[in-house]
Parts: sequence; structure tokens; C-alpha cells
Amino acid sequence: MKRYLLGLGCLLGLSVCSSPTPNHADTVRIRWARDPENLDPLVLPNAQAVETTNLLHCSLLTVDYAQKKFVPWLAETMPTVRRTDSLTLVTYRLRPEAAWDNGQPILASDVAFTLKVMSCPGLPNEAARAQFAFIESIQLDSLDRRRFTLAFRGKSPDLVQASGDYPILAEHQLDPRGQLRHISLAALRADTVQATPRRSASVTAFARGYAQKNLGRHPENLPGSGPYVLKEWRAGRHVLLQRKKQWWGDRVPAAPPQLRAHPKTLDYQIITDDATALLALRRGDIDVYPMMPAKEFVRLRQNQKAGDLAFYTADSYEMLAAGFNMRQPALRDALTRQAFSHLFDIPGLIQASQQGLAYPSVSLVSPTAGPLYNDSLPLLTFDPQKAQALLTQAGWTRNSQGWTRHPAGAAPQRLEPTFSYRAGEPAYEAVALQFRAAAAKIGIQVQPRPMEASLFSQQLRAGRLEIYLQSLSGNPFVYNFAPILHSQSTGWGNFTGFGTATTDQLIEAIAAEEDPARQAQLLRKFQRVLRQDCPLVVLYFLRYRLAAARRLTNLHVTGIRPGYEAAAIKSQPAGAVRP
Amino acid sequence: MSRPFRSRPRRWWLALGWLLALLFAALLAPVLPLPYAPDTTDLTAIAEAPLTGSHWLGTDPLGRDLLAGLLFGARTALLVSLPAAALATLLGGLIGGIAGFWGNTGLRLPLSYAAAAAGTGLFLLGFHGSPTIVWAGASAVAAGLAGGVALLGRRGYRRTVAVPFDALALALMALLASIPLLVLVLALAALYPPSWPGLLAVLVLTYWPGPARLVRAEILRIRALPYIESGWALGLPAVRILWRHALPNCWHTLSATFPLSVATLIGLETTLSFLGVGLPPETASWGRLLAAARLAPTAWWLVLGPAAAIIGTTVALRQLAVREPAH
Amino acid sequence: MGRFLLHRLLRALLAAWAIISVIFLLSRAGAQERPPASRLAEGSLSATTASPVQRRQAGQLQQRRLGLTGPLFYVSAAPAPAAGLGWRWHWNGRANQYHQWLRRLVHANLGVSFRDGQPVTLLLGQSLRYTLPLTVGAAVCSIGLVWLVAPHLGRPSWRRRFLLGLFFVVDAVPLFVVALLLLLLLANPDALAWFPAYGLGPEDAAAPWPVRLQALAYHLALPLLTLTLASLPALAVPLDAALRHELRADYVLTARAKGLPDSLVIRHHALRNALLPALTLLTELLPGLVAGSVVVELVYSLPGMGRLLAEAAAAHDYPVLLGGVLLIALVRLLGQLLADWLYTLADPRIRLPV
Repeated sequence: MKRYLLGLGCLLGLSVCSSPTPNHADTVRIRWARDPENLDPLVLPNAQAVETTNLLHCSLLTVDYAQKKFVPWLAETMPTVRRTDSLTLVTYRLRPEAAWDNGQPILASDVAFTLKVMSCPGLPNEAARAQFAFIESIQLDSLDRRRFTLAFRGKSPDLVQASGDYPILAEHQLDPRGQLRHISLAALRADTVQATPRRSASVTAFARGYAQKNLGRHPENLPGSGPYVLKEWRAGRHVLLQRKKQWWGDRVPAAPPQLRAHPKTLDYQIITDDATALLALRRGDIDVYPMMPAKEFVRLRQNQKAGDLAFYTADSYEMLAAGFNMRQPALRDALTRQAFSHLFDIPGLIQASQQGLAYPSVSLVSPTAGPLYNDSLPLLTFDPQKAQALLTQAGWTRNSQGWTRHPAGAAPQRLEPTFSYRAGEPAYEAVALQFRAAAAKIGIQVQPRPMEASLFSQQLRAGRLEIYLQSLSGNPFVYNFAPILHSQSTGWGNFTGFGTATTDQLIEAIAAEEDPARQAQLLRKFQRVLRQDCPLVVLYFLRYRLAAARRLTNLHVTGIRPGYEAAAIKSQPAGAVRP
Repeated sequence: MSRPFRSRPRRWWLALGWLLALLFAALLAPVLPLPYAPDTTDLTAIAEAPLTGSHWLGTDPLGRDLLAGLLFGARTALLVSLPAAALATLLGGLIGGIAGFWGNTGLRLPLSYAAAAAGTGLFLLGFHGSPTIVWAGASAVAAGLAGGVALLGRRGYRRTVAVPFDALALALMALLASIPLLVLVLALAALYPPSWPGLLAVLVLTYWPGPARLVRAEILRIRALPYIESGWALGLPAVRILWRHALPNCWHTLSATFPLSVATLIGLETTLSFLGVGLPPETASWGRLLAAARLAPTAWWLVLGPAAAIIGTTVALRQLAVREPAH
Repeated sequence: MGRFLLHRLLRALLAAWAIISVIFLLSRAGAQERPPASRLAEGSLSATTASPVQRRQAGQLQQRRLGLTGPLFYVSAAPAPAAGLGWRWHWNGRANQYHQWLRRLVHANLGVSFRDGQPVTLLLGQSLRYTLPLTVGAAVCSIGLVWLVAPHLGRPSWRRRFLLGLFFVVDAVPLFVVALLLLLLLANPDALAWFPAYGLGPEDAAAPWPVRLQALAYHLALPLLTLTLASLPALAVPLDAALRHELRADYVLTARAKGLPDSLVIRHHALRNALLPALTLLTELLPGLVAGSVVVELVYSLPGMGRLLAEAAAAHDYPVLLGGVLLIALVRLLGQLLADWLYTLADPRIRLPV
């Protein structure tokens, strides 16, 4: 036994001496916390899959991270928009250089095909189908094979952006026999939960062929129009993308930034544990560590003033909010909710759980949004005295057991709210414990209830929670609050039960408004309404944190996920970096 | 165990002292003049090292005082982990003992009783309605079956069936060990709100197979020993042989693993809290303090404090539970 | 013996069927209609173009595609009658999820993953490729280590006190702390950077096998050490108790009187008797080998079985979860069988009823 152990020791010793030093001149290695799981362009289950798909496939439009707006990608320019009385008509023209890897041009028929695939029954496309169901029809230009017009109902400007935000798929790859060509979009969409008409044989055959391609695990079976190809994917270990030698984007004269892709190889290393990832960064096993935990980020930045790492932060659109379920009797009146909103010690929480790398806001709009942000509203203060006063105003009286009230014609109420959140997130737990302690000081017994993720969302949808914590993610382009605050979304995104005819109208008006000045006015009004009615309290907006090797430049660090632009990254040769 | 107190070694007294201190900490924690409560967060002192600020033993990444956490954690250990370990060991010991002792054929029930019990169970499983009617129906079925079996033959009432207790126990153990904790917990959480007895029940339910397996193996061995044979030969009742002669000989195995069970259950209790059916987050526990170290891997004091408490307790329990051979 | 084994094997299969059925029903009973996991994430202000109705329909369509619609089992609960006596159950016929699933299972088809559409058997096989070297290696190492320290257990000495103290310390510290501690000590550029921090390194299929084995050993060294350390107390502490019990027996006295050295007395005589309770650990060890260790796989970023099942459970990927549970349950039942058989080998006086 001893001899074997000795042998093992020698083997290990040998391997320590001969550990390989990989050559990574043109490789950018990025840390991911999880596997993309499914790279089918129709499915996209998580942020990692979205990021990969955006490198493998091009959409009509894309986001310019530096300017924080949509820019044309496969499209030649931003589309022209025409409005008839009921329809919005959006006309695109594809870039003449745009081509598939085999040299075939990308044409309007590919876009039409993509829309059909996204509606074809039998494919794993439910989400895409719901999201792009607003596009009613596509009209191909009979003269120009690159020009087409999309028609949809609704006038809001975000629909125009959304109409170009899906990866375009190659018809000659997926449907070489044209099985979908003669079937209309409307016929495909007739297949719903309620009605399942007999599927035509060609649709069934197409669905079978699609399933056989096994795109979820083998996206290389469908070469895309993006600058990268999937070279290797070892589930749970790494995803390796390689720059195409011949990409159509290289032929575009004076190519805009979105048509440039610098790194020769992108190596996404999947490291599940944060502490391990930090060590890997320190050892130089990875070059980019996005979404770094605040504490580690701050500590490393202090220690590494002149090290080989560079540190970036960006104001994000991701916020932590506390919601009040207005369907619960005790939380039905605005005064009680306002009282609770004064029990959050927001500056303390920002300092404690985000190390100051977050910023407060009066409402759902980021303070960086300029005129859209209602700066005349004061930030929420931590004020238990005021909370007490507001509670008294709301009809609650404090006695030895706590706060009670006796509304006329209803059962007596006690103020003992539960405070629910997804378990395992320390930032949530910090909020829950702080809120509980603050409430206890004025005699309210709050019960924190951490829950497993699926149980939490199940209870949330059922409306059984009282106060809850939720992460909300916004963006700089669109102000549509319908998914979380419209009365139609109650139980499906709107968990507060907020929404009257007036506020629904206001939400719709904001989404549909095109004129920036008028939209700002409406938005500011909406923020005032939210402060008054207090269905939810925005605790803070996060600041994204990213650490990267100093030799990397042009990372385009932004507050939009994933927080950087992998294709833009430039790498300086090792000698050129000054320490 | 009946040695006079005077001759106990010093280690034994130390162990007793530790457990008494634990008991006092658990009882007196609320009235001790602690500078900080265990459930309040000090947002100005996040993951503070010991002796650097106003927190003597430092704080965890949420700003909770470690000293208060340790003292109040003793309450949790005494109220949850220790009873759970004791109950699980007891239950496991009993089930394992019966399974090993009687096996699949040793335990026999009169056929008429068995038929009546099975009939009642099936009836209750198959029908529902107003309570009086259901119970009347169930009693009628039971009486009918029991009578029917007795009339089957001349000696029908003496006929017996073997209860395959060993196979049942083994299958149950395999079942409990196979259900992923998350699935079990979610199924339970959908039915019952989290509570202290519920937590205790889940802990015992998931932990008893370990001791049961150990005792079953021991009993299998002991059953074949001469003194048990002579017990049978003397005509002693089976229960008495099991209870007075076989089970006491498993004590040395159980007492050696019991302290480890306590440590395991402290960890399990933390996992359950994480899944949302355990203790509420404001309740301090040693396991939770250890888990907090995950957020701040460099905060050695978060490991040192609770680990020392757990080690002290397990070693003390072992010292009291295990009889050292005379030498 | 053959008939005994066959009988037990059949019973084990029956038990496996019962276990997996219970878990099937338990896990699916909680499955409710959910919005598809992708793009339509709740709390996102950007997934705006789908109306609430469309989202709900998307959820229903997905349930239908995954085969999660329709009754769960042959019977479902019937409402209580207003008066008198009524059936508690309502018969659903064979068109239920359980029947479909069981029929596929009989044809050795475990289904495909809800997440990526891969066959469950393929996913399990891939994970085992990473898990087995780790767990088997750790089991061999820890059994070897216990064999090495066995002569010091069971009788009072400073070595035994030290070893037991060490085991209690390791047992009280959670596994992730052990893993992180080793990582911070042995893979840290600030301390000793002897080992890689994560993963398995680049895999070069063209390399000769000794090189590949060496790379594997190098990358698995820290996880192996962690698991070995963590599994030692559970093996050694009961063994110590049993040895102490055995060493008081007469045959040990005889062996000593013959002048055998203590280590031989323990290894050749006492250990065999003391092993009996330790054999029960086999029923835990074998399933542990295929189940992997979530914590170690997460800390060292290894795509093993523990991580696969934990992620499947969190994402409600039932086919993968059930496949994994079935595999582990089968191995566990085999372990029980094996342990019982080994009892009779270790101590021929033991008779096990069929």
C-alpha cells in the first residue's frame, strides 16, 4: 500500500512539474457560472445561451452597447416605419454583403422562413412563438429579394425594435426541400392549445427533421450567419467558439462596430463556485470575470492597485424590489404600504450587501435615464417614526400584542406580515433581516420566509405571499410596465395586484408614446403614482462589476446583460502591457 | 455505567462540564448581557474579524454577531439537533433490531387479525363520506373478515401469517434514501407550513435508516450467538430476548456513531433551512453560521467558532456515552 | 444460494419499481403550469411583446409538448359525497402520465431531458464518466487509509486519541469548508499553487493514455483528497468502536498470548469480526459512488452526477431526475443484497431467511 501511495505521489509530483502552459495569444477566456444547457436558437433558456446564440447567429437588429440603442446588423439600415389606421408596416432591407457560409446570400425568404419556424407546431418554440406573435404577416418585395415588410397591430416603438430581434435561420439548411414554403404563417399559428387541426404531412416531416438535427446540443448542425462557429462544447466544462476565417461582415466597407469581431477564439469556462472562479482569475486561468460578487470585487481592487487586472463597473438596469401583495387585507390600503416602505434602510443595505456598488432610485426608472427619471420625488428615507405615524393614520392602533385595527364591516386585522423571498441569496436575506429588525423596533412582528425557488414562484403566482422580494430587470430602450403592473398580468408577472383602469391606461400610453418629451411627462407621472400607491418599493439598482486581465481592452462594459461584448474585445500582445 | 463518580477520569468531568455549560448557555442566552442580539444585523460591521471592532468574536457576512449566534445556536442544538439525533437513533435502533431479530418469517400474526386489519385499511383507502358511516362500514368489514377466516376451517383461528418485516424495513430504507431531499421537502412544504415539530419530524424521517442499518447488522450477528440460543431454549419470550439481551449489545455501535449523528444533523438542519422548511432565518444555529462562511471564504472565524462548538459537543457526548475498557 | 440470490434480486427489482413510482408521483404532483423558462422570464421588463394570455398559452403548449398534461395516475381523488358513502377515487383509465412513463421504462427508455432534449441514458453516462473516477478513487483511498490506521484504533494510545480527534474535527467541518480550505491552501497563487483550481483541463484525445491518466490524476487530486478526508470519519469511527469491542474477546487474548504483534492481531483476527457492522456501510458506499458529491463537484467545477441531479431537481427536469434516482436506487438495492451476502461470508453462523 505504501509503495502504491508513493507511486501516486510521484505521479502527482511529475504532473505538477510538467503542468501544461496553454498558449493563449488570441484566446479570450471568460467565466460562466453555468452551462448554457440548450443552444437551440428557438429555446434560449438562460443568459449564457443567449450570449452564445448572439455570436453564432445574426439578427436583423442588435444592441450597440456603447450607445445603448438598437442598430442595424443584418439589416442595411434601421427599418422605415409606416402607419395605416390599424397596422404598423416596417420595411427592412438586408445588407447586400450578408451571406451564409457557403456563399449563398441571406434573403428576405430566410426571414419569412424564420418567422414560420418560430410558429411551427411541434417544435420547442413556445416562448418565441408567444413573443413574436405580434408580427401578423410578412410581405416580400417582388423586385428586391432583400427587401420585405412586416405588418403588426399596435404602435409602440418597442415593437419596431422587437420585430428585428431574433436570430435569422438559413432556409437551405433547415428546410432544403421547402416543406414550409407553401404553408402560410396563419395556418401554422392556427395550431393552438384549444384547437389542434390536422397537421399537414409536410409540417410533421419538417418538425421531425428539426428534432433530428438535435440543435439543443449540436448547434453546429445549423451554421449561422454570426462571426463565430462552435468548435467544442463539453457540457458543464467549457464552450469554445472560433472566429470564422471568412465572415460576410469582414467584406462590409467601413464596418460599424457591430460588424467587427476581434478575438480569434472565445473560450467560455464554466466555473460553478465564485471562490473557485476568483482563484482562477488570480492564477490567470481566465481573463474575464463578469458579474463578480461585490465583496470580492472590492477587496481585489484594493489589493491589486497596480496588478495585472483591470476593474470595471457599469450602472445596470437590474433592480431589487420589495412588493406588497395588495390582495391581502392588511396591505390593501396605500398608507400601510407607505409605512412599510419607510422601514427599509436603503443606504445601509447598499453599503452592507453591495459594498456601495448599487444606487437608489425613486421608482422603476433608473436615475441615469435623464429626463425620464422623476428627480422631483425625494428618495425613500429610513424613518420608523414616520412609519408609525402612517400606520396610525391608516387606522392601526398599537397595543401590547402589536398593531390591530377593526375596519367597519370586516373582521379585525392584525399587522403581522410574512416576508418571503427566494432562499440562498444573501442579499435578499440581508433585506429580510434588516426589515424584520426595523419592524420589531416599532412593535410589528414580521416573519421572514425564505423559500426554494420553484415553491416561491408558485406561491407568488397563487397570490399567497404578503411582502416579497423580487429582482426586476429593465433596459434603456423600452418602458413597458405591463408585464409587472398591468391588471391583465395579475398572477402572471403582476404579483402585487396593482392596476386600475387609470393606471392600465397610463401604462399603455407610456408604451405607445413616440414623442420623447411626452413620454418623459407620462413616465414622471407614473413614477409619482407608484410612489403614492406604493405597490412595490425599488430598493436599489445594481452596478455590474467585471474584472479582466489588463491586456484586454475594448470590453464595452455596460449595464445590459451580459455586461460586456465578447466579440469586441481586443487583446494586446503580452509585451505591450505595462504593469 | 455504574462506576462510582469518584473514579471517573478527568476527561469525563470535562465532557460533563461542557454539556452543562451548553445547557446553561441555551437556558440563559436570553438574559445574558450580550451587546448584540443574534437576530439583528449590524449593517456597519459586515464580516468583521474578531477583536477588531465592537463585536468580540466578529460578525458574519450579514452583520450578525458571532458570539450571540454561538450562544443562541446552543439553544437550537439542544432543541433540534440533539432530540432529532436521539429520536432517529431510537427509532432506527428499534426498526433495525426488529428487522434483524425476526427477519421475514420470525414475526407471525394470527391470520384473522391480519385479514381484519388489511380489510379495514383497504376500506378506508377506497371509500370516504361522513365519519359515522365510514367507521361503521370499516368495522363491519373487519368483523366479517375476521369471522370468515375463523370459520374457514376447524383450526382457522389459529392459523398465522408471517410479517416480512425485514424486507419491508429494507425497502423503506432504500426508498427514504433514494428520494432526493429537494423532492421530499417540496412535497412536504406544499402540505404543511414550516414549524418546529415538522422540522424535527423531517430530520428523524430522513436520518433513521443509518442507525437502523447498523443495529440490523449487529443483531444478525448476535442472533447467532450461543447466549441467545440458550435464551430460546429456556423458553424466554421473544420480546424479552430482544429487549433485554440482544439490543443492549448493540449499544457500543450506536453510542460510537451517535455523536457523529449530531454533527450530521446540524448540517442537515441547515440544508433544510436553505430549502425553506427549516428554521426561520432569524433563529441562530451553528450550522447556519458555518454555511455563512460560504459567502466569505476568508472569514476563518466563521468556521472556527461553530466548528469548535460542534466538535466540543460531539466529543463530550462520546466521552459520556462510550464506556472505556478498564486498563 | 442461487435460488436465494434470484429471490432477493426479484424482490430488489420490485422494491426499485415501488421506489421509482413513489418518486414519480411525488415529483410530478408538484408540477404546475409554468411559463417557459426562456425569454418570458418573470420580472423582466423587456419581454414585453407577449401579452399575458400569450404567455399563459405558451406555458400550456410547453406542458403539452413535454407530456405533462392529462391525469397523473390511474386514479385521482374524487370529491367527497354530500351524504353517505362514496368512492374515494376516480378511475382515469390507461391514458395517464404514469402509464405512458412506465411503458417507456419497460422498454428501457428513460425519456429525454426537458432542458435539452438529450436521452437521459446519454446524460447519465456522461456524468458517470466524470463521477466514477472521482468517487471510486476516493473510496479506494479512504479504505486504504483506514487499513493503514486500523492497528492504531481500538486500543488506548496517543495515536488513537490523535486520530479520533482528527476525525471529529474533519467531521464537524462541512464538506465545502474542507474543499475551499484545500483550494485556498494548495491552488492559490498567494499560498501554494501546486494543483489546478477547477475542471479537468483541456482534453487531448490524441495523447497516449499515460499522459491522459496523469492529467486526470493531476486535476482530480484535490477533489479526491477532499472526498477521502470527508469519508474517513464515517468509516473509521464505527470501526474503532467495533475493534474495541472485539479486542476484549477471548480469542484476541489467545492470539496475543501466542506472541503475535498487535498489528497482526488486529489485521488478521479482530478486523474480520469488527468488519460486520462496517459492511452495512457498503449499502451507503455503493450508491454514493454513482451519486457523486454535489458540493465537491460544484467547488471544483466537475460535471458529475451530483451536479447533474441537483440541477435537474432545481429545474424540474423530471426525466433526468428520475433516471438518476432509478440508477442510484438500483445500485443501493444491489448494495443491500451484497452486504447481506457478505455477512454470511464473514460470519458463517449467520443465516439469512429468504
